[in-house]
Amino acid sequence: MVMNSKSTRNILLVTALAAVSVLSACGGGNDKNNNAGSSTNGGTTGSADKEVTLRLFSNLPDRKSGQGLAEQMVIDNYIKANPNVKIDIETLAEEPFKNKLKAYMASNESLDVTMVHGGAELNTLVQAGYVKELNPAEYEGDTYKFLPGVYKSFTFNDKLYGLPRNSDYEVIYYNKKLFDDNGIKIPTTYAELLEAGKQFRAKGIEPMSMNGKDLWSFAAFFQDLVVRLTGDQNLMLDAVAKKKNFTEDENFLAAAKLLAEARDTKLFQESFMTADYGASQNLFTQGRAAMWYMGSWEAGMATNDKLPEDFRNNVNVLKFPVVEGGKGKDTDLLAWNGGGYSLVSSSKHPEEAKKFFDYMMSADQWAKIVWDTGAAVPAQKYELSGKESELQKQLTEVLTGATSTAGSIALDSGTPKFKDDAQNAFGKFFAGGSTPQQLLADLQKAAETQ
Amino acid sequence: MQKVFNNKMAIFLFVFPGILLFSLTFLVPIVLSAYYSFRDTLSPGTPSAFIGFANYTELLFHDSRFWLALRNAVLLGLGFILIQHPIAIFFAIMLDRLGGKAEKWFRTIFFIPCVISVVVISKMWLSLLDPTFGAFNKMLDSLGLGFLKHAWLGDSSTALISMLFILIWAGFGWGLLFYYAGLKGIPDDLYEAASLDGASGFRLHWRITVPLLSPVITVQITLAMITALKQMETVFLTTNGGPGDSTQFLAVYLYNKAFSASQYGYANAISILFIIVCLLATYLSNKLTRSDATEF
Repeated sequence: MVMNSKSTRNILLVTALAAVSVLSACGGGNDKNNNAGSSTNGGTTGSADKEVTLRLFSNLPDRKSGQGLAEQMVIDNYIKANPNVKIDIETLAEEPFKNKLKAYMASNESLDVTMVHGGAELNTLVQAGYVKELNPAEYEGDTYKFLPGVYKSFTFNDKLYGLPRNSDYEVIYYNKKLFDDNGIKIPTTYAELLEAGKQFRAKGIEPMSMNGKDLWSFAAFFQDLVVRLTGDQNLMLDAVAKKKNFTEDENFLAAAKLLAEARDTKLFQESFMTADYGASQNLFTQGRAAMWYMGSWEAGMATNDKLPEDFRNNVNVLKFPVVEGGKGKDTDLLAWNGGGYSLVSSSKHPEEAKKFFDYMMSADQWAKIVWDTGAAVPAQKYELSGKESELQKQLTEVLTGATSTAGSIALDSGTPKFKDDAQNAFGKFFAGGSTPQQLLADLQKAAETQ
Repeated sequence: MQKVFNNKMAIFLFVFPGILLFSLTFLVPIVLSAYYSFRDTLSPGTPSAFIGFANYTELLFHDSRFWLALRNAVLLGLGFILIQHPIAIFFAIMLDRLGGKAEKWFRTIFFIPCVISVVVISKMWLSLLDPTFGAFNKMLDSLGLGFLKHAWLGDSSTALISMLFILIWAGFGWGLLFYYAGLKGIPDDLYEAASLDGASGFRLHWRITVPLLSPVITVQITLAMITALKQMETVFLTTNGGPGDSTQFLAVYLYNKAFSASQYGYANAISILFIIVCLLATYLSNKLTRSDATEF
């Protein structure tokens, strides 16, 4: 084949141009996406009649039940009241959500409102300047009715960066039928809990389901033990903040020994170290484990018609048992506020976004809806509707009867690095059988090097 | 056409898209990674300070998890080379001898694990090895070996070995395929000549098959080391490095440091060391297994 160089050059140029245009098409596509929101309102914000599309990023992919449904209802309500606003919602399950939020943070993606996890994870977003500071004074009063002390995990250097959506606290869910059928006493002390564990094990029933793969539940369990021993909600938080020492305070050692007892008497199910959240929940909801150590956000279990009826009728709540000789009461509650929402700094419609955010956080929206649908326990004052499930009533009792609360889970009160290291220390303790002393040394090291 | 290749402009135009893509997806990330590895970044875009080699000294001299992850990778590599490959060669020979329809059938069956998604494989083994309802423990029970029952992936004493087993099982088909293809390239008359000389069975293969397969073996050993080092998906999906740290591998560790612990700079330091280790492993395995090309 012979070609003159001119036509060759032409052909090559065309090919090259084609290649370049393919490459740039990718970039062009992105631009289009990015502009889609702003082009509809031409860059002006706040004007009530202009079409605005807000972007909300959430960790609630299930829009048909539980908290996802509640979130969707709030959005629908807002759109009904503000027909000029569209809300573009992106949802991902917990872990992918966390990762993508970090990617968004890195690229300064212009979301408007995002779900955030208080404590360590929000701290990263704050340091990157990705989320906006809020004025707490604006959220006082009857429109919002936030409970006292709920801003703790959302406050860094005395500045507020988000609002909590739920009150979270650890309880033990138990299957009453399994206790009754096997004639086992519902435990009120830690020794009784371990004893119940032994009896269930003897009968071939898993005593307590634990999401060991996720590791954080161990830290909560440990914090519960520390509080039961000392009655001091701040001791563990102080240790994370390096004001106390894990290895020097004998209460920590006592708590770690109690934790070792749970491990050694096999209180948790056989494969607890490979069980993630879903696996540990399944074991409990299928009636194969008598108890589940988990948070109040699972209030919806009693009304979830996908779960066996037999289970729904028998699920009850137990306060974390007291420790014999400990100074803590069973009304000292490991309660904190984990999940919430923040406004994103790079928002293209800051005013509209704030309007929507404020609407969502007002007491008669998210708080009321999650409570009425039985999806969670809000961080705001709520009125009983009279239609609550038995489980919700019990959970309310636990919260309203609390004589002290933690405000933050110790794991989240440090940096993400501390969280990772501390979780790993618990992992080593439960899987590798390290001693209580080693656990404390590891925790101390994690606190020091965070 | 010759003219085209003499034309510098043409060469440039042909090569440029490739170089561009390679730079954007390969060189730039590595350079950026190196840049971030000298900083205490929480994630790209966050304020950070230059901290010199601090990440590296921490990693090399204080971080036992890094060394553990590296050790596990080496163990896995050895597992591939010493367990998986001999079995793969053995089955490749058997398969080669089988002939006919049966050969095709078994070839397909052996290769099935390789076409199944890693996610499916991970979930499958997670279920099979589950201590309460897993088929593996039930099988032990029915064989009267109930005392061997175990929380295979949940116990730090057996987790690593179970993980190695899953990975060896999952990668077996690839090894087999490579050796099988290599075997097909060995002329039959060599075997005929050898058997006329009185060689048979194991000797025949030890003296003829293995040496003639050596180029394939060399490639396979290098590949095994690389595969072992970059092991990520299965570990991430089954144990995420746990329980404790017993199945920690470099890529999983790196991922967790970057995205769970928000130590982005530190994770980048791991990734740079990771690249160095991979290059070293490739270099060493090439060096150690290099033999003169066999002619036949």
